[in-house]
Amino acid sequence: MSVVETNVATTGAMATGANSPAAAESWQPSILAFACHWCTYSGADLAGLNRMEYPANVRLLRVPCSGRVNPQYVLSALGKGADGVLVCGCHPGDCHYVSGNYYAKRRLMAFKRLLEFTGLEPGRFQVRWISGSEAGKFRDTVTRVCEEVRALGPLTTDQRQALADPVLAGAAATTQAGEAQ
Amino acid sequence: MSDSQSIQASLRSRAAELLASDQVAELIGWGAGRFPDQTTPLFITQADQAEGLVYSEYCQNTLGKYAITELSELVADQGKLAICVRGCESRGINRMLKDNQIERDRLYLLGIPCSGMKNRQSGELLSKCMNCSHKNPVIYDELLGETVAEGEPDRFGAVCALEECDRASREQYFDAAFDRCIRCYACREVCPVCTCRECFVDQHEVGWQGKQGNTTENRFYSLTRAFHISDRCVECGECERACPMGLPLMVLNRKLVKDLDDLFQAGEAGLDAVAVNSLGTYDVADVEEFM
Ligand code: SF4
Ligand code: SF4
Repeated sequence: MSVVETNVATTGAMATGANSPAAAESWQPSILAFACHWCTYSGADLAGLNRMEYPANVRLLRVPCSGRVNPQYVLSALGKGADGVLVCGCHPGDCHYVSGNYYAKRRLMAFKRLLEFTGLEPGRFQVRWISGSEAGKFRDTVTRVCEEVRALGPLTTDQRQALADPVLAGAAATTQAGEAQ
Repeated sequence: MSDSQSIQASLRSRAAELLASDQVAELIGWGAGRFPDQTTPLFITQADQAEGLVYSEYCQNTLGKYAITELSELVADQGKLAICVRGCESRGINRMLKDNQIERDRLYLLGIPCSGMKNRQSGELLSKCMNCSHKNPVIYDELLGETVAEGEPDRFGAVCALEECDRASREQYFDAAFDRCIRCYACREVCPVCTCRECFVDQHEVGWQGKQGNTTENRFYSLTRAFHISDRCVECGECERACPMGLPLMVLNRKLVKDLDDLFQAGEAGLDAVAVNSLGTYDVADVEEFM
């Protein structure tokens, strides 16, 4: 949990500028990708070894299994600065723990439908199975997800609105200055 | 004598007998509230208190969840806990049995067939009773009154109507709803499925739930609550009835119930105490959409 928070805190800060019109041009999507240690993470490694290029907007967060991804992580990330979330795991049948991704599949299928039902754009939460040897699929997936989220624009959350509000942002800055003294 | 009056009469006499014979140590039913037609949950331990029991068409509260707290305070050899169960309560009881929250042999279930409860102010059928799929209790030790005919509930009508709206209006609809939530957690308290000793919202050190009262945090709460009960919700509607801010919680719950049924043939929860939860299992042949 704290991992998610720290990771997204940086992307959140980066994305704050998005709400001020002047910065709209330079807005970059922040995407959090949960990658299973046994497959996608190695796939990403392989992509790196092969010097494949993919957008730097994607932050990888290594998890032991896609079954480890609590749907609350996804909601947390979206509420705290991520514009999109990607969950990647081993192909069905290939799970290092035998069945983790099968449970993840059921869970995330239902959760994705719930998020979309309540209004989230389908592109903002995606799940893909990517094996350790599929460096190309990893590159293509993150590139595509990044472009889809870029087209959707920044995700509005209360945290962002508060940070973009000049009064609230000013108050936060004063508090920090006061604390430093 | 109307149906509910005759049920009230047999409830009072059976309650007195059960308590007098020490077969049961405590009984949970309904008693009169402060206003005309208002009822409130009633907990009695003496045979002479049985006259205070009320059964009318205004017994709004679903009692099932009280079984957990009352049983935890009752010494096992004192006798059983008797509880009135209509369809909704009985399915909640099954759910709690399945979740190992209560023990069947410590319960005495007084079944009550129910044709739906009314709002005492408007006289209208409660919305939670409108699409009830089990008016008769699915588990009981004795039945007070004749079984009633089951209707043809439209459980997913509201969900389907929303599904047909465009994304932006759904977002607007739910954002406006989440915006109203005051995070009193009444929806969790009354739910027979929300039985965790420590709820994620109370894990302050872990910090799942932010303290701000804003739409983002309220959405986090509501969607997490709905997802946590998803494959186990018995559709009693008590959460939505208890919500002081009128959030449409049943469409969230039923959206999940519907999807899990469409995708994994989950069926209805709480019909027995043994069924496997659809998210607690898997099938290698499950539909694939993440390839
Ligand atoms: S009962 Fe209603 S207001 Fe209270 S926490 Fe639940 S949804 Fe929010
Ligand atoms: S979520 Fe609501 S409808 Fe479902 S079991 Fe709990 S209280 Fe009943």
